[in-house]
Amino acid sequence: MRFSIYRFNPDQDEAPYMQDFELPQPRAGMMLLEALIELKQQDESLSFRRSCQEGVCGSDGMNINGRNGLACITPLSQLKDPVVVRPLPGMPVIRDLVVDLSAFYRQYRQIKPYLIVNDPEPEVERLQSPAQRDQLDGLYECILCACCSTACPSFWWNPDKFLGPAALLQAWRFLADSRDQATDERLDELEGPYRLFRCHTIMNCVDVCPKGLNPTRAIGLIKHLMVKRAI
Amino acid sequence: MSRPAHGLNTWLLQRVSALYLAAFVVYLLGHFLLDSPADYVQWRTWVAQPLVSTAFGVAAVMLVAHVWVGVRDVIMDYVHSLSLRMVLLAAVAFGLLVSVLWTLWVLVKVVSL
Repeated sequence: MRFSIYRFNPDQDEAPYMQDFELPQPRAGMMLLEALIELKQQDESLSFRRSCQEGVCGSDGMNINGRNGLACITPLSQLKDPVVVRPLPGMPVIRDLVVDLSAFYRQYRQIKPYLIVNDPEPEVERLQSPAQRDQLDGLYECILCACCSTACPSFWWNPDKFLGPAALLQAWRFLADSRDQATDERLDELEGPYRLFRCHTIMNCVDVCPKGLNPTRAIGLIKHLMVKRAI
Repeated sequence: MSRPAHGLNTWLLQRVSALYLAAFVVYLLGHFLLDSPADYVQWRTWVAQPLVSTAFGVAAVMLVAHVWVGVRDVIMDYVHSLSLRMVLLAAVAFGLLVSVLWTLWVLVKVVSL
C-alpha cells in the first residue's frame, strides 16, 4: 500500500513537501496509526502525535485522504490507495503531522469548561436525576481531538474570535448541566457576532467527528436558549 | 453587565426576514399563476391596494436586511483588513440604503396615483 505524507521541518525545509512511502504487506485489520508507526521505522524523522491507540486520547487527529479523523481508529481497508496524510488543516505546523493547537485550547478555556456553582458546598454530592444526567449524553464524550474545529472554515478564517465547534459543544455541555448556575454569564460570554454566530451551519464538524457527536445541534440549542432568554 | 450586541439580534433578523421573504415569494407565485395581471394598468391597480403595497414595502425592507446580514457575514469571514472592511461595509450599506429608499419611493408613487 502506498502513502503520500506531508513533511515539513521548519528548521531544515524551506517549504512543505509530500513524501511517498510504501508499506509492502499491510496486516489484516491494520489501522492507519499502526501503518504510520511502521513507516516511521523506514524514516525515523517522520513525526506525529499518538498515545492510547484506541480513539480515546484524541492525540492523532490528522487529515486522511482529505478528511479529518483519528489515525488509530481508521482501518487501512477503508482507505483509497495511495493514502494521502496531511496535518489538521488551518493550524500552524510544528513538524510534519504535528500542529500547534494553542488557538484551539485557548477557545476551549474561554467557555470555562467546569461547573460554576454559587451555592455553598453541599454535605453530599451534587445529585442529578437520571433524566438530568441524560442531558449530558452526546456532549461529555468529546475528547478534544480538534478534528471538528479544524474542519470548520469559520474556524480557519477566525480562529482567534470564533470559538469553533469543539468549544461550543462544551459550552452547551455546561449550559445543559442541571448543577451549573452560570447560565446567564455563559450566554453573555457567547454573545456578539463572532464567538458563536460565525457558525453558518455547514455541519463539517458533524461529518468528521470520530466520536459521532453533533456540535451543530449543540450550537442550535445554545441559540434556542438565547432566544428563550431574550423573549 | 453590558452585552456586545449584534450576535443574536442579527441572526434573528436573518431568520425572520427569510421566513417573510419565503412566504412573500409563495404569495407572488400564486398571484401570477392564478390571477396574472393582463396589462400595466391592472398590475398597477393591484400593487396600489394598501395591503399589497404594504407587503411589497415590507418585503423590500426585509430583503435589504437579509442581504445586509449575509454580506456582512461574508465580509467578516473573509476580509480581515480593518480599513478595507470599513470601505466594503460602507459601500454595501450605501447601496442597500439607496435601493430600499428608491423602491419605497416607487411604491409611494404607485399608491398615491
